[in-house]
Amino acid sequence: MVDATYSPRPMRFKVRNLRLWLPLLWIATLIIAAVFAPIFAPHDPLAQDLMLERLPPFFIDGSEPGHLLGTDSLGRDVLSRMIYGARIALFVSVIAAFSTGIFGSTLGLIAGYYGGWWDRVISRLVDIWMAFPPVLFAVLLVAVIGTGLTSVIFAIALIDWTRFARVIRAETMVQAQMDYVDSARIGGARRMATLLSEILPNVLPSIIALLALEMGIAVIVEAILSFVNLSISSDDPTWGSMISEGRGAIHFAWWVLLFPLIALFLTVLSFSTLGEGLKKQFDPVLK
Amino acid sequence: MLLKTVFVRLLTTAITLFGVAVVVFTLVRVAPGNPISMMLPPGATEEDIAALTALYGFDKSLPHQFMIWIGGVIQGDFGTSITLRQPVDELVLGRLPATLELSLMALLIALALGGLVAVIGARKRSTGTEVGLDLTTGAVLSIPDFLWGLIFVLLFGVLWPVLSISGRVDPRLDIDFTTNFYFFEGLLRGRWDVVSSTFSHMLMPAMSLALPLAAMIAQLLKQNLKEVLNQDYTTLARVRGFSETSVILREALQNAALPTLALVGVQFTFLIGGTVIVERLFAYEGLGNMAIDAVINRDLPLIQGIVLLFAALFTVINLLVDLSYTFLNPRLRNG
Amino acid sequence: MNNLHAKTLDIINLNVTLPNGHRLLRDVSLSLEPGEVRALVGESGAGKSMIGKAVLGILPTGISISQGEILLEGTHLNALTPATRRKTIAQTSALIPQDPLTALNPVRKIGPQITDPLTRIHGWTKARALARTRELLDRVHIRNPDRVLNSYPHELSGGMRQRILIAAAFAPSPRLIVADEPTTALDVTVQKEILRLIRELQQETGTGVLFVTHDMGVVAKISQKVTVLFGGRVVEDAPTRDIFENPEHAYTRALIAATPTPNASIEPFRPVPPALIAELHREIQADDDRFSKRAQP
Repeated sequence: MVDATYSPRPMRFKVRNLRLWLPLLWIATLIIAAVFAPIFAPHDPLAQDLMLERLPPFFIDGSEPGHLLGTDSLGRDVLSRMIYGARIALFVSVIAAFSTGIFGSTLGLIAGYYGGWWDRVISRLVDIWMAFPPVLFAVLLVAVIGTGLTSVIFAIALIDWTRFARVIRAETMVQAQMDYVDSARIGGARRMATLLSEILPNVLPSIIALLALEMGIAVIVEAILSFVNLSISSDDPTWGSMISEGRGAIHFAWWVLLFPLIALFLTVLSFSTLGEGLKKQFDPVLK
Repeated sequence: MLLKTVFVRLLTTAITLFGVAVVVFTLVRVAPGNPISMMLPPGATEEDIAALTALYGFDKSLPHQFMIWIGGVIQGDFGTSITLRQPVDELVLGRLPATLELSLMALLIALALGGLVAVIGARKRSTGTEVGLDLTTGAVLSIPDFLWGLIFVLLFGVLWPVLSISGRVDPRLDIDFTTNFYFFEGLLRGRWDVVSSTFSHMLMPAMSLALPLAAMIAQLLKQNLKEVLNQDYTTLARVRGFSETSVILREALQNAALPTLALVGVQFTFLIGGTVIVERLFAYEGLGNMAIDAVINRDLPLIQGIVLLFAALFTVINLLVDLSYTFLNPRLRNG
Repeated sequence: MNNLHAKTLDIINLNVTLPNGHRLLRDVSLSLEPGEVRALVGESGAGKSMIGKAVLGILPTGISISQGEILLEGTHLNALTPATRRKTIAQTSALIPQDPLTALNPVRKIGPQITDPLTRIHGWTKARALARTRELLDRVHIRNPDRVLNSYPHELSGGMRQRILIAAAFAPSPRLIVADEPTTALDVTVQKEILRLIRELQQETGTGVLFVTHDMGVVAKISQKVTVLFGGRVVEDAPTRDIFENPEHAYTRALIAATPTPNASIEPFRPVPPALIAELHREIQADDDRFSKRAQP
């Protein structure tokens, strides 16, 4: 028979590349902004100036040339706070995603490879965890362990490990059925060694793709916790605390909400597009 | 055989709910900050504190406290809220209708919007329109409800203020309904003022919750539709003179919807989980908003009650989805 | 329709092409008189199914008619808008599909699947559609029509489903039926009955039938005329009797020789000789060269 779904391949290939490069471009911008924040930021992100409060951004009448994106209710420079905010956003996303990934993947590998009681206990834990509304869980955890960046990271890892555990468990079970695992065992390798040398490399692509997704999620969770005033002190320049403040002052200074929202939007979109792109790149079936 | 499956399901559900109870109970007990001292005026004596601690049972050992609480829960007694001084079950059931209305509205929007986009995508398959829709749904999918909420607040609350951005209903309205299902009871009673007010308050939070799910439904349903549209019975329908749109709606949709449904069920529980922050964002007087207040105020019995209710809601929904899946598939219905 | 004396179907120089320009049908011409059965034979890939799909307007995505005319009851299909073409085809034609297991919608009951086109496309009343459906189900020997109409496809056997599809095809009294290898997916015992039913109904109603098959044995049983195809080209077009008694083309002879006969156990199976296939491919290549010259003057 004739292939009914004829599609022009070269064009799709290009679009897919763009889907990898555009997110990377934004993330690179963020990294540069974060590393060189003191150079790029025109002002001290914490400096208040009550004479210059709620200045609009440059494209609106009444703006000041020194404050490109305007100022907030305390006269702090929005652009500078956003640039310093990128530091915290990247820090949280990287540390939280890796903690979550290591914790969740380990449990997933154990459940998928050892099976039996390990699997039963871990799967039951996943079920229990999935029955919690995640945001409420996060709020509750941070309330218990105290506010601050470390608590936020800890809370993310403690809640979202199920995402890794579920996927990696399923993939490990598939890999464990493969012949090469048997031959490694017959060759005298110990179970733990087989798990690390034979199975882990094969599920690693999925872990990497999930890590990219998790980074986007971590940024959002930090923003949500800032929004309910449970992240770090609201003076610190995080996008979440800016959004929280912007929501309160929405009728007087909407730009305080708009610009960090755009940054958050692009960051989440970039991480998740990157995750999807990596998943497709690694998947031999889809490639 | 079937009975055994149902029994096993119910048993695992019970174990999961018990696990949730243990986790939430432990969590709120290890939280720093004495809830009792927060309730009393600054000049309270030691005796006052001791009396109140005894009243709420906080003087007993943790396992003992847990046994008392779980025993009450089984009998329908969830304890008394520390800050609001009312029975937890009354408070929680009073707020549940608001959250249910919001979630169902969001689900309806997601199904309608996602279904529509899927049908259009399938109708325009292998064209630029399909590629464009794929890119759009992909982007919409990756933006979570919290961000959509903020975007809507900015767009329709400030830049083009057509919708209210806080509350559940216009407080000036006189509502003497028997239930707290303002929207549904308003519909039944023909109180259009209440219906339109709740609707205009609900629309933005519901849209925020609905968009990611709508995008997911659009992608999955379109994929399934395209597979079904290669089947012989759809070809036969085309020969018989039915238009492509009518082939999609009459022949393909139900077949394609079946595999989509299983996923929508799980995703609907995620959507309900999302109400917590979205309600907060829109100051919508539902369960989630109350839950965050309860956490901030260290209202232990109330937190426990709300978390348990959410968990129960999730498991019930998963059960209902499985049942409706059986009902919609004639091959499973008889066998 | 606009000409009472028109042929049921007239195909003139039909070319059907893949997006990359490769031709699946090469200058195919054939016609069908009212009440006539014409068999389209050839090996797989010969393009015999593609002719039926082109006539019914159900070519797979990407495959299109690049040249040629199809006249259905004297109406030029190419000249119509897609919507009118769809209606014209539905009013005059029907399809008996190859695989009865996949040709009925699994989630809908049999009844509406037959009556819906009658009421919604042909504009019949519900009562008339139901009466006609019962009549035809009786005609294809389905004994308890009411139970069948209320069943889902998975509750019925393959042979039963193919009889239902035959009834559904004949229900609107079409002038043309395309039968796309309707017996290939069935047991040998059921095949005979299905073939007999199609022939009987066709003779009673005077419907013209394009019968797509790879089986020369079936050809002999059912058709008056035969079109033999190879590589999308018409190799031979003749009355059935002539094809069997006096085949002109070597390929036709080879096909007949390759058909198992009742005493096949004694005769060795004789496939089409490779030399002949090579010769035919050379002819196609020459034909394609002429075609591309014609396309770019």
